[in-house]
Amino acid sequence: MSSLAAGRRRSRFATDILPVILVLGGVVAAWQATVMAFRIPTFLLPSPVAVVTEFLSAPAFYLSNTGFTLTTTVAGFLFALVIGVALALLIVSSRIFDRVLFTLLSALHSVPKVALAPLLVIYLGTGMTQKVVIAAMIAVFTIVINTVVGLRSVDPEVLNMAHSKQASRLKILLKVQLPHALPNLFGALKAATTFTLIGAIVGEFVAGEQGLGYVILTAQGAFDTPRAFVAVVILGLVGTSLFHLLAFIERKVIPWHVSIRSERRR
Amino acid sequence: MSRGGGQAAVRVVPAGTTDAPAPVAGPVRVRISDLSKSYESDRGPVQALSGISLDIHDSEFLTVLGPSGCGKSTLLKCVAGLEPVTGGRILIDGKPVTRPPPDLGIVFQRDLLLDWRTNLDNVLISVEFLGLRKRDFVDRARQLLDLFGLAGYEDRYPWELSGGMRQRVAICRALVDNPGFLLMDEPFGALDAMTRDDLNLELQRIWLRDKKTALFITHSVPEAVFLSDRIIVMDRNPGRIAAEFVVDLPRPRTLSDRETAPFIRYSAEIRATITGMGILRNE
Repeated sequence: MSSLAAGRRRSRFATDILPVILVLGGVVAAWQATVMAFRIPTFLLPSPVAVVTEFLSAPAFYLSNTGFTLTTTVAGFLFALVIGVALALLIVSSRIFDRVLFTLLSALHSVPKVALAPLLVIYLGTGMTQKVVIAAMIAVFTIVINTVVGLRSVDPEVLNMAHSKQASRLKILLKVQLPHALPNLFGALKAATTFTLIGAIVGEFVAGEQGLGYVILTAQGAFDTPRAFVAVVILGLVGTSLFHLLAFIERKVIPWHVSIRSERRR
Repeated sequence: MSRGGGQAAVRVVPAGTTDAPAPVAGPVRVRISDLSKSYESDRGPVQALSGISLDIHDSEFLTVLGPSGCGKSTLLKCVAGLEPVTGGRILIDGKPVTRPPPDLGIVFQRDLLLDWRTNLDNVLISVEFLGLRKRDFVDRARQLLDLFGLAGYEDRYPWELSGGMRQRVAICRALVDNPGFLLMDEPFGALDAMTRDDLNLELQRIWLRDKKTALFITHSVPEAVFLSDRIIVMDRNPGRIAAEFVVDLPRPRTLSDRETAPFIRYSAEIRATITGMGILRNE
């Protein structure tokens, strides 16, 4: 503990990365020790070594299924981003859109999207489209709500300042409201990475012949626990990576925001 | 000079000066006639302004002085075309104000700088709002920042500046397109006394250089005397004009002028008027 505290001021590696490695390494070590100490059968809880061995037995299989799920997730995410921001712009630009869209969206949001997944198979088939749509549907509401809040929470006095210089509505939207909404948007997008991954897996559970969700489903049918574990671990890695990728982009796009500035000072 | 509102307006010309009329001889830029403004609140209608009649002359520095809640900020917003009036009318250069007039710069109580823009780009946003070509104004923006002691801070961000520096950037933003008409709503109210003194000097300097028509709102008597050609004192409930003073002190005025007899006489007289009318108590 004292060596960790001493290293804190030394480098980013010591402060940010080393603790993560230590914590995760500790968990994996405890997991391996538990399985070995209690001789837990592999079909109940495979050891980390067994999981890695399983992955190495068929890396191409796992990577191609990961690729499918990742593609679905990213496509669903981008779809949700474009639709979500567009809807938010419509909602703040007119009262009618505000009433109509908000009513529709909250009605849609109160239906569990998972319940719609089997229906979407009827409309869109069992291919990637159905999965992308489910992923986007789960994520879009958060994006709309947060973006609308960001666009609307501009200080009224700033709007007065803009009006005093004859600013048009479009200029105010582009130069004031949109930049102001970016921190809210990024907050929503970080949550959306998780949501779209859930959507992609649900889509694969319902119908499909590819992807990590499909791997888990078929492994369960064959009582192949190590195979399911490999898929779950990869999903964890994918989810974490997407989240941190978004956090990285956020730091590049809005370095001026107080949340980023305070993070940097620490 | 007749007042339309029927209010008891007092014109005070301090001892030691001739009783000549206002030294402001320029044409009238802003004519406010019998202005009233009320708005609905949770506790019923509130009369914010009543029977305000006032002319602002070209190149005049006019200050509205009053306690908080007297409607002086509302008056400024009405003149700026940011708030609709309830009664009476406001003419700027002969035209009724229904929306913010062109040729306007406002310095607000808070600096309202945008965190994602550098200080230079915060100044230039006025130009972008106006739809003018940004590159035509970059030199002027830099000169203004330089004039306010901010050379070297152009590419820094507002959150790297002190409160006084931020408000200087906000003044540059109001002035960058060289508007003829400058409105200031307690711009130095949130600053410490020393920074306030600095900014009073800098504001006087730029006003003497450009001679813009200026409407300044404050609740500080010394600040009003230091900066103004003419001071309007307002009373509250409803907001109305209570007295008017012409400040006939030579310019440029210095900070130490505030300790001289004529300056103190003005301040004392204004304060006596304010307390005498019961606007503020003297104890």
